[in-house]
Amino acid sequence: MLEDVRTRWHPIAATDDLPLRHVFHGQLLGREFAVWRADDGYVNVWENRCLHRGVRLSIGINDGRELKCQYHGWRYSNRTAGCTYIPAHPADAPARTITNRSFQAVERYGLVWSSEDPRGDLPVVEGIGEDDLLVLRAIPVNASAELVAQRLQSYRFQPNSEIAGTGTNIELVAATEAAVALRSCQGRAETLGVFFVQPVDSGRSVIRGVLSGRPNDAQLTAVLRYHNEALSKLREDLEREAAALPVPVPIEPIFERVSEELASLPELDSRGRKAAIRVQVARKWQTADGIMAFELRPIRGLLPTFQPGAHIDVHLPNGLVRQYSLTNGPGETDRFTIGVKLDPASRGGSQCLHDSVREGDVLAISEPRNNFPLRRDALKTIFVAGGIGVTPLLAMAQTLNNQSLAYELHYFAQNEQQLAFSECRQALGNAVMPHLGLSPSDTVNELRRLLSPYLPDTQLYICGPNPMLESTRSLAAEAGWPEAAVHFEYFKNTNVIDDSSSFEVALARSCLTIKVGAGQSILEAMRDAGVDLPSSCEQGACGTCLATVIEGEPDHQDVYLSPSERASGTKIMTCVSRSKSTRLVIDA
Amino acid sequence: MIKLYDYELSGNCYKLRLLMSILGVDYKTVPVDFYPGREHKSEWFLKLNPLGQLPVVDDDGLVLRDAQAILVYLAAKYDAAGTWYPRDNPELLGEISQWLAFADGITSTASAARLHDALFYDFDINTARAGAHRLFRILDEHLWFGERQERQWICSAKQPTIADIACFPYIMLSEEGGISRQDYPAIRRWCDRIKRINGFIVMSGVFPAGPAKAA
Repeated sequence: MLEDVRTRWHPIAATDDLPLRHVFHGQLLGREFAVWRADDGYVNVWENRCLHRGVRLSIGINDGRELKCQYHGWRYSNRTAGCTYIPAHPADAPARTITNRSFQAVERYGLVWSSEDPRGDLPVVEGIGEDDLLVLRAIPVNASAELVAQRLQSYRFQPNSEIAGTGTNIELVAATEAAVALRSCQGRAETLGVFFVQPVDSGRSVIRGVLSGRPNDAQLTAVLRYHNEALSKLREDLEREAAALPVPVPIEPIFERVSEELASLPELDSRGRKAAIRVQVARKWQTADGIMAFELRPIRGLLPTFQPGAHIDVHLPNGLVRQYSLTNGPGETDRFTIGVKLDPASRGGSQCLHDSVREGDVLAISEPRNNFPLRRDALKTIFVAGGIGVTPLLAMAQTLNNQSLAYELHYFAQNEQQLAFSECRQALGNAVMPHLGLSPSDTVNELRRLLSPYLPDTQLYICGPNPMLESTRSLAAEAGWPEAAVHFEYFKNTNVIDDSSSFEVALARSCLTIKVGAGQSILEAMRDAGVDLPSSCEQGACGTCLATVIEGEPDHQDVYLSPSERASGTKIMTCVSRSKSTRLVIDA
Repeated sequence: MIKLYDYELSGNCYKLRLLMSILGVDYKTVPVDFYPGREHKSEWFLKLNPLGQLPVVDDDGLVLRDAQAILVYLAAKYDAAGTWYPRDNPELLGEISQWLAFADGITSTASAARLHDALFYDFDINTARAGAHRLFRILDEHLWFGERQERQWICSAKQPTIADIACFPYIMLSEEGGISRQDYPAIRRWCDRIKRINGFIVMSGVFPAGPAKAA
């Protein structure tokens, strides 16, 4: 019986209960919901507990894009309910297992409908037109849904235009344990009333009435008050009746464990890069000279959670795989937007996207990965972008902007026409500062000016071409920036990789020792031995194939690790770096 | 300067701190150890207020007791714009007084339930909670119909009045007395609006709201 009820759609709120920037506190069959509308209109119905300490999310803050828990500030994203930021771990991207349980939501008949486990579509209610109806004030009742639905069958009301009169004819049109439909006729006046009963818990319900036909403005309040009064009276009787009955045992909601799909690592194939998500190119447009933007939408279901700084692998029709940063702001979870610069020396990646991929095409992409996470605990954050390097920084800037945190985005380019994503930049306003047409030496001077003096609790994020990145990093060091406050992401590793060495690698966790020969990477040798590790760019730039070194001396050839990370000797990028010692022990 | 005889966890003291913060009135507090010290029943305090109740203010020698009465005094004296207690509007003053009395009802029910649950007062908890629910139903209905008439606040003024400030604290703290506000969605939305008034401050158990969407 209860199973049956769980698979049905129930109204859980009125559309009017969800103004922007509010969190509604709902409940269905004993299970509490935090219900909130994002600024993009999407209605989120979530389990009402933070995955951290179980505090109700209905007392949290809806910032229009994310819901923030009041207790320790964990932030969850619109649509996906995935955690995007944990203030106590400001330098880390939250694990994807931290995803709250969400439930489907449909808005119809002025109500918000949900279900624990819906089978089929929302039932159509005959006689109630979507554009011509009146939603009554909801009446919570301390009585079981069964009793309420029974007693509602004898509810009496006048048609909308005749509320002052008496003696209407009432016809019972339909009655189930979840709803009662009554038609009230007097002369030519006629109103259909459908009264849904939301089973809140075993002994609590909400009557949600919807009338056919919206009265004119003069009569509107009178009709609403008329039913509010009559239904309140019915409630009094119902609660008196229920109080005489034995108190029913509250329904124990079942709290599910994290889904298997989330709890397991993303699937890897023999090459370690499975692209499990299919997206459609919904829009392709030229956003700047030589830069195409792509808006990717899921074929079905939802896209996974991302954080600012994240990138995806895009599998191209010509078989190549390329990484692109997401430019999306927080909560923009219905699409992924990337910017692709046509590289004159293209090996086929950017050229294919520019020339061959069209709107409507289907592409395979990976889950977003974030090796460039954004701290949100700085007094001020400075972003330095060179050319197309602006993409991850735009996502970051939108995040700080949404939280009203101080930042500046310095955008270096040759000219106005090379500045990408104007719409997004305009929304950010004066915090985005273009620096156009500077010579290399003027660029250095400008950067020196921007980075001095170093002020405590400031963070710096840099993304751009390698020479600019290198000089920004050294200028920051000169100005006294501590290494931990300087974050960077290279597009590519332009170091010439010396892979002439050969050595032995012991994989501590796999209890395997493998030989890495000249011309072969540690990653390749591991995969040959059947030990897989996620990887992405495979040129020492993105940070995905990072492994922990337990013993031995790494021969670093990547551009991902910072000088102190390199010096610590505890980390290695397995795609390009090698070993100076004859034996390297890594935690894999 | 105004001296507020204050207990941090008292909703009735908080409503005065809240209004003074909104009005930008300077004040200093004299902490009174309400629990567990029962200092509000001490000899020195009974001289200030023979009823032995918080809060009390002393404004340059004028000593006043009773939270609602002090709200009236503060708004009438220190609100230059005259919106929180519009002295020249008899209809509104009537409305405000009606809801100040309602706030007293909230204190004797919702606050009593909280004192029972949190500070071990020997009250009939079921009566206190049922009384609070009865009042919350009335207020939720009032606010729900208000929203349909573009009335944002408890009284029919365009701006909030001291009636909102008087009712707010013990509604917001009701869950500490085992009184859920789940069945009162219009009250929950009104609470968000109060939290967005310029100068709003919190107390233990009262959480802030995020900013409203910029128009």
